[in-house]
Amino acid sequence: MSTAASDNPQAGAGRPLPKKEADLFKNVVKHYEMKQYKKAIKQADTILKKFPNHGETLAMKGLTLNYMSKREEAHALVKQGLTMDMRSHVCWHVYGLLHRSDRNYNEAIKAYKQALRIDSDNLQILRDLSMLQIQMRDLHGFMVTRHTLLTLKSNGKPNWLAFAMARHLTGDLRGAISVIDIYLGTLSEGSPELDRGFESSELALYRNSLLAEIPNNYEEALKHLDECQSVVVDTGALITARAKYQLKLGDFDTAHSTTLRLFERGTTDDFRIQSLYMLCVLKINDEKVVDEALRLKGTRTLASYLPLTNEQKQTLRTAYREELAPLYPKSYAVQRIPLALMHDQDELVAALDPFCRRDLTKGVPSLCSELGCFLLLEKNGLLVKAEDPVDIKEHPTFQSLVKMVDGYVENLTACNKFAASDETEEAPSTLLWTLYLRAGLYELEADYGKGIEMLDKCLEHTPTAVDVYELKSRLLRKAGDMKAAVEALDQGRDLDRQDRYINNQTTRYMLLAGMEEEALKRISLFTRHEGNPEQNLFDMQCSWYELELAACLRRKGEWGRSLKKYSAVVKHFADYSEDQFDFHAYCLRKVTLRSYIEVLRFEDKLYGEDYYFEAVSGIIAIYLHLYDNPDLLKNDEEPDYSKMTAAERKKAKNIARKKKKAQEKKEAEQKEKEAAQNGSKNNNANSKKGGGKPGSDVVEEDPNGEELLKKDPLEESQKFVSIVSKFAPNCFDTWILQYDVSIRRKKYMLALQALYRARSIDSERSEYISRLVDFSTKMNAVGDLPGPVGTILKEETPHLLDNKSVKEFLDAAVAKIGQTGSKATLPVRTSVAKALVDTKAGSVSTAAALILDGGISAKGVSVQSCSDAFAVLKSFGGEAASAADKWVAQVKERFPLAQSLS
Amino acid sequence: MGRSLQVEFGAITSDNVEQLRKVNTVSFPVTYNEGFYQDVVKRNNEHLNKFAYYNGFVVGAVCTRIEPIKAGDNHAPPTAVDVEAPLTGQHRLYIMTLAVLAAYRGRGIGAQLIQSVLDYCDAINDGTASTEKNVVPKRIDEIALHVQISNEDAIRFYTHKFGFEKGDMVENYYRRIDPPHCYILSKKL
Repeated sequence: MSTAASDNPQAGAGRPLPKKEADLFKNVVKHYEMKQYKKAIKQADTILKKFPNHGETLAMKGLTLNYMSKREEAHALVKQGLTMDMRSHVCWHVYGLLHRSDRNYNEAIKAYKQALRIDSDNLQILRDLSMLQIQMRDLHGFMVTRHTLLTLKSNGKPNWLAFAMARHLTGDLRGAISVIDIYLGTLSEGSPELDRGFESSELALYRNSLLAEIPNNYEEALKHLDECQSVVVDTGALITARAKYQLKLGDFDTAHSTTLRLFERGTTDDFRIQSLYMLCVLKINDEKVVDEALRLKGTRTLASYLPLTNEQKQTLRTAYREELAPLYPKSYAVQRIPLALMHDQDELVAALDPFCRRDLTKGVPSLCSELGCFLLLEKNGLLVKAEDPVDIKEHPTFQSLVKMVDGYVENLTACNKFAASDETEEAPSTLLWTLYLRAGLYELEADYGKGIEMLDKCLEHTPTAVDVYELKSRLLRKAGDMKAAVEALDQGRDLDRQDRYINNQTTRYMLLAGMEEEALKRISLFTRHEGNPEQNLFDMQCSWYELELAACLRRKGEWGRSLKKYSAVVKHFADYSEDQFDFHAYCLRKVTLRSYIEVLRFEDKLYGEDYYFEAVSGIIAIYLHLYDNPDLLKNDEEPDYSKMTAAERKKAKNIARKKKKAQEKKEAEQKEKEAAQNGSKNNNANSKKGGGKPGSDVVEEDPNGEELLKKDPLEESQKFVSIVSKFAPNCFDTWILQYDVSIRRKKYMLALQALYRARSIDSERSEYISRLVDFSTKMNAVGDLPGPVGTILKEETPHLLDNKSVKEFLDAAVAKIGQTGSKATLPVRTSVAKALVDTKAGSVSTAAALILDGGISAKGVSVQSCSDAFAVLKSFGGEAASAADKWVAQVKERFPLAQSLS
Repeated sequence: MGRSLQVEFGAITSDNVEQLRKVNTVSFPVTYNEGFYQDVVKRNNEHLNKFAYYNGFVVGAVCTRIEPIKAGDNHAPPTAVDVEAPLTGQHRLYIMTLAVLAAYRGRGIGAQLIQSVLDYCDAINDGTASTEKNVVPKRIDEIALHVQISNEDAIRFYTHKFGFEKGDMVENYYRRIDPPHCYILSKKL
């Protein structure tokens, strides 16, 4: 802004200001930039007194007002300025800045471009434009703009870097490298830029990462590492890259010794480096396996990811035993990884024994989940952790673990020793942690009652053990007694009121139990003490709370308030995206190019993050529910009394009166609350430093989400589902959402595509089966559609049903479930049963049998899935009444603590 | 008896006082009223009131207070003393409660708690106790407690280990437990 305005303040206007006013205008700009807004306004007014129609002054005044939180006025003035002086680049630039501050980036880009048409070499505007282009990922436009900037000003380092980056982002890797090389060539010998230091190091490593991104170019990348070694300060990154390149080039022995050098530098407990080591030892350099293995999270390594042959395991065990263990006897990773490489169960359990003992003596609460990592199953050629209780119960390692831990409990109770033959006695706390571990194992196999029994023993032993209350509460929740779960957790929380973790956990459980007001009180113990805690949680972008609260309100049918909370999370993600803006200029200046690229790539996938997905699926679920049940929002209207009998009328009127009373009470409370909040809000406003960020009133404005309820449900759903299908295409639920929205919008092609995508991810899921049946039924009812759409639908739909009719398809599904040893989960059984009855393809008794005969011992059994099944049985009506009763009896036996079955 | 366990001490504050209640509830046949807990928190002196931690959890606690000794005060319960009686200028450290969770008993935890309190008294008397936070008298003259006459373990613990002397029996000191009588155990400093 500064150069533009002060270099040429009267440009384009056709009526230059006299000297005195021109100087004043310079001052306006200066004051604006120094955030002395009041002074800027005062001087602008002096100019306007003499020249009330001076466009640039009007625009500047408007821009200044915008930063004083007078948005409306600002817009009006800037527009007025622009109309007065359409040929001024200053006015257009200001117009762009105004849009930018509204986050209206596309409009801002247009305005900047208009400004550049008048003043094509204006560096400031070009820079601003390039920021917006990279923000909006107009990569080609970004490259063009950065090229112009570099041509205009080729002595600026950031300009070179930005242009290199632009070429990189547009996929021109060689081009990017040559830009860096030309830049380095412009430096005179002995320039400090060429010395070893952070900036030269980052630039070299960035150049190196470009080389490695070029397919099959590891040799050149490796060579470059040697060349740039003298300037690189991030030695760890350099050696890691070297080891990777060597591995990928198949130079296993060299890669192996490079990895050992990494360990020497103290990375033994970096599990990814451990994977790298294993790949070297096993001489595996398959591109995909290497990349995946080096991306594993937590304590997962190659050993718990890829099913290895006994021979490979043997090789790795030898390597760990003979090479790493003597060097790093204390490394946790070096001790732990070989456990996943045991030959058979007996060996594994023998190895886990000292591992468990050590953690039990020490008191490690996470031991059970740690052991869960060793319960692996092979699925689609890869190892995955067993999650379903049915799988876990059958897992031989689990069975051995249970036996081992039961032995511990027995001996510790009898003589304070893990084994009767042991010499050392254990401290009393060891028994506590062993009982705690046993409870954890019961949780894994979903025997919650027994687990709670163990935990009660723990509390008898050490009633001050906070962790025990937490686990007990989790087990109570899973057992279906949410109220008791909250009580147990709150008791634990009360023991240590400084523990934010357990406080948050209590909040979460209260929300699950539908106690949103108590929950707010709990979490408020840890928010800032002044002001509205809800606002504070929003400012802190506390998504987990907002999501839980939204879900809680949704369960209660408070659609508007729920939408409001879900939208808050959507807003956070818009902010995360917005947050990039600061980095575009900063990273180029500081040459943190590698991290900058990482940030950009993270932001590119931002809307594929779990929390965003959760918010979006909540929003869509509500809108679709409202679309399906339009009466839900009409509760204010008077019912039609005329068609009722006298008794009915009396009853209805009574209900209406009660409703009205409740409503009035609620409103009064709301008003009181608002009044209280406004008081505190005003205090905040004073302390805030002109933070005119748009949307800072998100919490207080429309707190009940009434505006959100007025929106078109299908349009809103469509908006969100198109975002997640772009950003989370590998998520099964994305396509279920896409289907649910598309089928209601009668976009059959999209619905069909969604089914295909869902099937390719997991064709066994109940959600897929129910949608497939729904689709086929609806397509039959719709009949043939005209045009190519009709042809495609007619051709493709049968493929999904294996070329069967709906009835035949369901019959096959029923037969499959009926087979002995069927792996059908309870949700699948439930959805087939429902489909059978809905489509009249089978009798109610056949359908009920799917659930009753073996459903309770199938996979996917939880209190929730059991009550879902119950709801389906109930929906079958009187014919299935006894089936429903029998089911309840089965569920009660399996989950005796379950409170509600409805 | 197992080996002895080395414990760490920690202060009793309003944020963790519920742990004291848990420990006391499972350890004593009598219930302490809300006022007892409030006083402990209010006194906020980690030398007088403290938790014993083993392996991260509270396994025991001691609560004491310092009180002036009045003329004619013969360790009788406070109500028995004439409120108007003149002060003697002497002070006593009175042990209100000492508790160790059953699973952790017999491992020297109680002794560590009492020893730490005795050490504090010594420090006061030597003039080396830090007094930045708490106002304490210059000298503690004796340390004393009440113990139910049937509680032989406790009597042995104080007399054998720490050289307390068994004093007079106070009849009907306790209201809801049997026997209701107690002894006064005390030690001159």
